Parts: sequence; structure tokens; C-alpha cells
Amino acid sequence: MTTTMPKIIRKTSPYLRRPNANATRMMRDVTIALLPATAFAIYSFGISALWIILTSIASMLVTEYIFYQILDRLQGESLKLINKQFSLYNFSAFTSGLIYGLTLPDQTPLWVVALSGVLGILLAKLLFGGMGQNIFNPAAVARVLVVVNFATLATYQTNIDAVAGATALGMNNSNLFSQQVLDVYSLSNLFTGIGIPGSIGETSALLLLLGGGYLAVRTSFEVRIPLMYIGTVFVLALAVAIQQGLGLWYPLYHIFSGGLMFGAIYMATDPVTSPITKPARVYYGFALGALTFIIRLFGALPEGVIFSILIMNMFVTSFDYHKVTHPRFNRKRTLIFLSVIVLTIVVTLVGASYVG
Amino acid sequence: MIKKSRKVRDYKELTRALPTQSYLDPEMVYIHLQNGRCKTYDLYVDEGDHVDFGEVIGVRHGGFFEQPIHATISGTIGKVGKKLHRTGRKVDCIEIKNDFKNTFHKNITDRPDHVIDKLTQDDMVEILKENALVGLGGSGFPSYIKLATKEKIDHVVVNAVECEPYLSSDYRLILDHPEDVIMGLKYVMQALDCNHGIIAIKSDKNPLYEVLTQVIERRYSDLNIEVVRLGNYYPQGWEIEVFKNALGIEVPHGELPMKYGVLGFNVSTTAGIYNAVKHNLPVVERYFTLTGDAINYPQNYRVRVGTSVQDLIRQSDGYKEEYDEVLVVMGGPMMGVSTVSDDVIVSKTTTSVIVLKNTEYKEEPCVRCGSCVYSCPAHLEPVQIMNAVKRNDKDQMRSLNADRCIECGLCAYVCTSKIHVTDYVRKAKRLIR
Repeated sequence: MTTTMPKIIRKTSPYLRRPNANATRMMRDVTIALLPATAFAIYSFGISALWIILTSIASMLVTEYIFYQILDRLQGESLKLINKQFSLYNFSAFTSGLIYGLTLPDQTPLWVVALSGVLGILLAKLLFGGMGQNIFNPAAVARVLVVVNFATLATYQTNIDAVAGATALGMNNSNLFSQQVLDVYSLSNLFTGIGIPGSIGETSALLLLLGGGYLAVRTSFEVRIPLMYIGTVFVLALAVAIQQGLGLWYPLYHIFSGGLMFGAIYMATDPVTSPITKPARVYYGFALGALTFIIRLFGALPEGVIFSILIMNMFVTSFDYHKVTHPRFNRKRTLIFLSVIVLTIVVTLVGASYVG
Repeated sequence: MIKKSRKVRDYKELTRALPTQSYLDPEMVYIHLQNGRCKTYDLYVDEGDHVDFGEVIGVRHGGFFEQPIHATISGTIGKVGKKLHRTGRKVDCIEIKNDFKNTFHKNITDRPDHVIDKLTQDDMVEILKENALVGLGGSGFPSYIKLATKEKIDHVVVNAVECEPYLSSDYRLILDHPEDVIMGLKYVMQALDCNHGIIAIKSDKNPLYEVLTQVIERRYSDLNIEVVRLGNYYPQGWEIEVFKNALGIEVPHGELPMKYGVLGFNVSTTAGIYNAVKHNLPVVERYFTLTGDAINYPQNYRVRVGTSVQDLIRQSDGYKEEYDEVLVVMGGPMMGVSTVSDDVIVSKTTTSVIVLKNTEYKEEPCVRCGSCVYSCPAHLEPVQIMNAVKRNDKDQMRSLNADRCIECGLCAYVCTSKIHVTDYVRKAKRLIR
């Protein structure tokens, strides 16, 4: 018998929490998963890629730090070097910066990288209320700022005899259903990323899939979104390939080139900007895939991933609207979803028969 | 960590292998005169009166039922005082001072088997009513009302899943007295004229399976009783989940299982039914787990109803010295109630007291990972309900079915950001009631 009498605290149930689960780990895993792609980017594009990545990360981190310092000042707190809301500790801004940097073309001037990075995190994340509150993916917003404001400055390097500034998809966009692209960039090169011009981190589908596998094992992302996203693009491209009499190379070409792998695995899966239920995440992945493919095929831009992600970010609240959301599949919803898939394929084919 | 996660570490290894310690002769017992379901009472005895073991000393009045109060030891009646109840309120309790003679009241006599064989449903209902049997798993719902059902019952299910971490009192009860449970089930089946009984256990509790199947095989092979091993996850013990996995019967929200031909009882209740029918013994003792990481000697006790938890904590060598702050939880760590003091009483429906060290969890902003949505056993969207509570949007809480929450605590358990989601959902339930 002992006489110790500890203080009894009152709380509400449950009193246990899942071990080894925290938001920081989730964000850190994304960074770890991107390491091979980052290393490959520096290997293939040289030191300029490193500078772009460092600038993008630094721009986002510094902006967030200064923003929260100013916010604290406005709320009348004293100056502290370490700010508690600053999310370096939970890797959120760091991850956004890394993702943003990896989506940039290798010839982007550093001041463009920095300016868009600052604006991206400020407009898309900080003004919405910080981590967990943002509607749009900050990395995607920053990337779009580069596209729409500095399109002529941010260009791709060309190391082979091709049209200046053309990525694999860019060539495809100007010459829709020609197998000529394969003469320049073979499928295996597109898959491994060797000798492919493009955004610095997006070239190697292999390494991106490797990182995706790591995230799936660690359950740090929702695997349904990239599966549906890439699967939808593949199926739509396959449908077009069959209609136009093209081979299997065409759908494979679509999923290996451009930012699809990168966007599907690292940007579309950002939990903050994706729906919350399992079915909605499947629908979301499908909508992303359909939009991306439609932009690629019919749009003026060669690349549709970033835009489709931003467009679908807007509809996340609709997916989660309390009158339509449902945490499980049921027969009626699945039937509607299947008919939407069929309808999308039909629309794509009709459209493809005009542009082809 | 975006995944459906229903595995909760169960910590049962702290207590389940240890023998049950009997602590049947406390100096004093305190009997709750009020409880969560019964607000008023009448007392038949005065201070200084002598009572026998099992004697009726009063009656509690519930909303739609009355419940006799029994003395759980023989001795002298003391004062009526206030003690903390599980509901968080102080309720009236009567003291009985033990005379250590253990004199039985004359009503407590064994019923011969040939009499029991002739008992009808109405007789059984009357017996349970007189012996004040309630759902001993914690619900406290009067068992006789359940047994008096007029629906045709096809399956009687004994719920021995005990999915809450730390608890092992039901486990010990089955190991020590498997026959009580099986006989209790037999009586229920007899009363309801039902020929299919199920004892549901968790799949990782192999000793229970062995004990039960062997006893059934040797002595009760004529009864159609099945031992079903269910999934090893939380909250498998939720009645609806047990019916679904053991029988494939899905009972929709808000409907009584009786309508679907199933009736469930907790193990302790079933053993209580056996004692009531066979020995005409009211609920005077129960299996009780005293465990947790902040107590020196966690183990199971067999105690009189009304024993002071402070006594038992002393029996378990007191609190561990290294923790300055502890939680005292009545019930399991997922759904139990945390009390402000350890001056509480083992009531009929108290399965356990768990003493946990106080851990402060660092909350991060919600990253909408969706783990709570994936894991919710009632198929709700806890995070959306939480956001609705923050906006105070009652329409939204209603259309997200916040009232269907069973407060199992899984959403807060799995939360990646360590947010106390369950609390928000609880608040939503209160707001839209």
C-alpha cells in the first residue's frame, strides 16, 4: 500500500489515441517520396534544377514565416523568433515548395520562381487561413501563376533536335494522332525519364511511381485518387486509340508524358484539397482524369494536369456538400457513376472524330 | 495514415491471465439508490436495521419500470449519503456495515431443475423483475423487459466480445464459470422458445473458445448453441455489429433487434440470469476489472455490488508513484466516463475502473485525411459533423445524421491530427436533440 495520491484529471472519452499517426508524418512522407525524383531532376538538369528547387522552397517558407510574424504583431504578441503557427515543423509549406519547384521548367528564371512561389502560398494558403483551410493547392496555384504570367520566360531546354521549347506532349498537341513523336521520345525513355525535356521533376514516371508506392505502403495518401486519375486518362486515350486505329502506344504515351504522374500522385492527393469520403475521392479522381484528357486533346494548352486540379479543387465543396455526401458506395450511385463514365467516353470519341 | 483503422491495441494482457481475486467481504458497502435510469426511490429500512444478504431494502422508480434494491451483504444499515455516480452527478447511496456473518435471506433458495423446466416466459420475466436484473454490460436496461418480448425470437446472442481495450472481466467470467453462462443462455432460450443460441467471442480469444466448446460438447450437446468467433477489431462488441457478423442480420438504425428475431444479452447478464433463475439470487456481486497503466497491480476482482473503488485500489497496491496526474475512468478507455475523484462505487453496471496516466495530445489542424470517415462504424462523417458544429449549422448536423453516432470514440482515436472529434460529434448530438 502506498500513500501517493496523484491528481485526478477529468477528460472525455476516448482516452487513447492511435500511435504513430500525425499530420507531420504524412507531409514528411510526401517529401521522402519525392527524393528520388528530386535527385533525378538535379542529375538530368544540372545545378540549375537545384537552384530552382531551393528557391521555390525558400520562397514559400519565408513567406509563411513573415506572414505569421506579421499576424502575431497585429494580434499584439511580442516578437518571438519561433512562431507557433509557422508550419515548417509540420512540413506543410516545405512540401508545397518542393512540389512547386519540381513542376517548373528548367529554364525558369529564379526571380519568376520566387515571385510566383510567394504569391502562390500567400493567395492560395495563407489568406485562406493556413494549413488545412485552403481550397486550392498552393503548389498548383504557384505553378499556374508561372504559366499565365511568365509563359515566355519559363521555357524548356531542348537537348535533341526537336522544335525549340517543345515537350513530348507539346509535340503531340500540335500533331494530334501521329506516331512521329515516338521517333523522338521512345516509350521506354518516357517511362524512365532519360533524355526527356520537361518540367524538372516530372520526367521520370518510374521514380514518381516508386515514390507513390512508398506513400501507398505508408498510407500517407489516398491511393484511389491517382489510380482513378491515371486509369481514366488511360481508358479515354485507349478509346480514342481504338477509334483512330492507333496502337497501345497512344494511351501509354499519354500517361507517361507530361505532368500526369506527378500531378496524380503528389498534387491531386493533397488531402486538404480533395473530397473526404471514399466514393467522392473516386469520383474526384475520375473527374480529374476526364478533364485532363479533354484539355490535352481539345484545349490550346498541351498540358491539362495543373488546370484540371485547380478546377476540380473548386468542386471539392460540392462533393462534400452535406446533402449529397455519403461515406459508402451504393447501387444507385454506382450506376449513375458508371453511366457518367460511359457518357464521357462517348463525348470524347465524338470530339476526337472532329479534331482528328 | 489515410486508412480504415479499427485495430485498437487492447492491453488486455495486463489482466487476463491473472486469476480473479475475490474481495467479497468489504467493511462497508454503499448501494446506489438512484442511477442513470431511476431518479426516485423508496426505502423500506431505517438506519440501524439489520438486513440479510439479498434482502430487499427499497425500490427504485424508473420511467417505465420499478426495480427492487437488494442488500449485497448482511449487516447493519447506515446513513444515506451522496456518492459520485458514473453519470457525473452525486446520487444518494445507502451504507451497509458488514457483520461478516453472511446470513442469507430466506428468499434465496435453489430452484430444483424439474421446477425450472416447467417455467414459462411469464414466470421467468417475473423472476428477473424480482431480482432486478439489468444489462450488466453497462447499459443498465432492465432485462425482464427484453425477455418479455412478444416477437418471435429465432436467435439469442450472448455478447462476449468485450472489444474495449483493457477490460477482461467478461473474459475471466467465462473462464471461471462457463456453465453459468451456458445455463443462463439455456434459460433464455427456454423462455423464448427459441432453439438457436450463439455465444459471440473475439477471434483472438482462443482460450474462451476452447472452454466453451468443450463444456458445450460434454454437457450441453443437445442444445443448439454455437460459439462464433468474430473479428478482432473495435467496436465489434456493438450489438448491431455482433448481429451483422454473427448472423448476417442487419438491424437498421432506430429499430429494435427483436423485430428481426434476434435478442442479445451481455455475458454477465446471462450469468446473472442463471443465478436469478437457479438460485433466486439477485445481482449481488460482479466481475470487475481494475487496470490501467498507472496502477501497481492491475487485476480482475470478484466483488460485492457496492464495494468502494478506493478499497480496491488499495488492494491493487495503489497508484504508481511516477505519475502526477492520472485519469480514473469508469468503463472502457474508449467509451468510459472519467470521474473527478476515485471515491466511487462499483455499481451493478460498472464493468471496470481504469487508471490511466494523463497524456496531453498535441492537436494539429485538420488535414481532411478522412480516416475518421473511413473508420466510423456507424457510417457517418465525423469531420464534417465537426465542421458543422464549428459553424453551428444544425441543418447540416441533422442531414449528416449526427444522431446516429454511438460515441464509440473511434474517430478521435484514429485522428491523424489528434483532434478530439468525438467531443464535437457529441456536442452535435446534444444540439440537435
